[in-house]
Amino acid sequence: MIEQLGNGLLLGVIIALGSVALSLLYGVTRIVNFAHGEIIAFGAIMTLFFSSSPDSSFLYLDRFSPLGINFIASVLLGTVLSGVFGGLLELFLFRPLRKNNFGNIAVLVVTIGLSIFLRHIYLLFASAKPTSYILELQRRQDYFGIQLTPRNVQVLILGFIVMVLVGIFLTYTKTGKAMRAVRDSSELANVSGINSDYIILVTWVFSSMLAGFTGIIQGVINNVRWNMGFLILLLIFAGTVLGGIGTSFGAMFGGFIIGTLVQLSAGLQFMDGHTEAKNGIALALMIIILLVRPQGIFGSKDRIS
Amino acid sequence: MNKYFTAFILLVLSVFYIFFSNDSGGGRIFVNLLTFGGIYGLAAIGINVHFGWTGLLNFGHAAFMGIGAYTTVLLIPHSLGREGVVISTGLPLPFAIILGLIASALLGLLLGLPTLRLRGDYLAIVTIAAAEIFRLLVRDFEDLTGGVYGIIQFSDSLQNSRPDFITQFSENYNISSAQLWVCVLTWASIVVVLVILSRLKKSPWGRALRAVREDEDAVRALGKNAVLLKLQSFMLGAAIGGLSGIFLVFNYGTVQASTFVPVLTFYVWAALILGGVGSLGGPALGAVIFWVIIAGTDTISRFLFESPDGQQLAGVRFVIVGLLIMFCMIFKPSGILGDKEELLLDVK
Repeated sequence: MIEQLGNGLLLGVIIALGSVALSLLYGVTRIVNFAHGEIIAFGAIMTLFFSSSPDSSFLYLDRFSPLGINFIASVLLGTVLSGVFGGLLELFLFRPLRKNNFGNIAVLVVTIGLSIFLRHIYLLFASAKPTSYILELQRRQDYFGIQLTPRNVQVLILGFIVMVLVGIFLTYTKTGKAMRAVRDSSELANVSGINSDYIILVTWVFSSMLAGFTGIIQGVINNVRWNMGFLILLLIFAGTVLGGIGTSFGAMFGGFIIGTLVQLSAGLQFMDGHTEAKNGIALALMIIILLVRPQGIFGSKDRIS
Repeated sequence: MNKYFTAFILLVLSVFYIFFSNDSGGGRIFVNLLTFGGIYGLAAIGINVHFGWTGLLNFGHAAFMGIGAYTTVLLIPHSLGREGVVISTGLPLPFAIILGLIASALLGLLLGLPTLRLRGDYLAIVTIAAAEIFRLLVRDFEDLTGGVYGIIQFSDSLQNSRPDFITQFSENYNISSAQLWVCVLTWASIVVVLVILSRLKKSPWGRALRAVREDEDAVRALGKNAVLLKLQSFMLGAAIGGLSGIFLVFNYGTVQASTFVPVLTFYVWAALILGGVGSLGGPALGAVIFWVIIAGTDTISRFLFESPDGQQLAGVRFVIVGLLIMFCMIFKPSGILGDKEELLLDVK
């Protein structure tokens, strides 16, 4: 089981980042965004597009050729473009829906449609088979008994730094405080002079940047594929529900627990030969949480019924 | 009557499209589309009881369809798995189908209990997760379900009951007689289910369900048990889904782990939204038109790609499905036959 701990921590960081992005968006806009996974995949695929060497053919159609620029720059570009993508979704899809008084359930169905649409656009135009970033191969090393490659350790540290930065942003900056104000009560925030349209736009951009970055990390650790976002979305939901939907730190915590547990359970004896069943464990856990403590560990009761 | 006129025109155009786009074997393709349309229509009627009547978001319909189908198929004579272990004893088909429907309803009960007390979107998350768990379980428990190798040779239980005139008719028109029989039975069940549902919809129980959709607190204030009503609706819709799953596997003649994947649910949702949420016959009509559209997307694939492979065909199909769900929900949320007053668009 201990040999899975390194992978567990990595998956924990991925799910934690994905969960905090989903939960923040939910808190501010009340949208359960089923297209969240596709924004995650967007970041990963964009980075793949920028960083792959021009003569490789990861694109299904061979109509575009990859740009082959520096990997770090590609990561930054991928993250920023994810934010732009999220902002465009808000401006041209979700803001008009909100202005036309679409209910939450109607918007939820729209995000499902959006998710199916985007995912299969990726299938048609981007990598149909799992593709890795061009990074040098590294050997696993021993860190306090945990086996990890040096790059994965860097990813782990980077992930934790981003989580701390998100926390600082939400707690101390003016925009972060405004986001939390809109989340708690958008009417009160409006009365206090907060432009909630602007805050919602910022939330979309911020959450999508986080999501895109999550996808890139996942791409570095495993690989990039068209349906990577959908596969991980259910774990992110489980993490968010565990921590409390609408909370930020709760979701971060819940996501981390879910990711680590899922990976650790893959090392259990009775899981031998059932590699994918580990996801089932997380989802079953989520249903149990809903049964005993539906608001999650850190959630408040008024959000759930 | 305007919307019924639109529906009629669309249906006629669809039929014409089928016959003109296929030089040979128009009848065969017509029956194929009608069968799939019927099966998905039945599934969509199930979701309609959930979403259209009661306002419950069920995105795990594939699991309800699957559990009904697997229960039924495992109870009748079949052969199983990689080695093809033959199990020649079993229950008579009608009993197996009834047990399958009960299994679907029980899964509905199991999922409904923890989630129906909570706000609607929790149910969406839990059902979508349940469908994924179902897929994993079916795949991993190969001893029971045959896993990816699946279950075969169970069709005889149904096909033995095929009357002679169906066989003769299909021979005359060069149609698969097995599929025609499934098609006839599917549409017969749709009629039966719709008759029952139309009675239920007018009953006090049906009105109470719609009241739950409109305003749960008001229902509670009137002394009705809203959670119990939701649970009953959830189980009823799940059982209808189970029935459609049973017809689906009899249409294929086999069932594998890949038959009831979560994306199946979204096909059904697209059919429902296209046909009209909340209307009685809308889902069935929507499913037929939906399958005609799907057949049309293959033409688009051939236009986009020189020789599309399976992945490209599926990709284009689902791009259209996604767009269909989005655009219908945004611009024509009442679908073709739906009623604007019956919608819960502004429910927060």
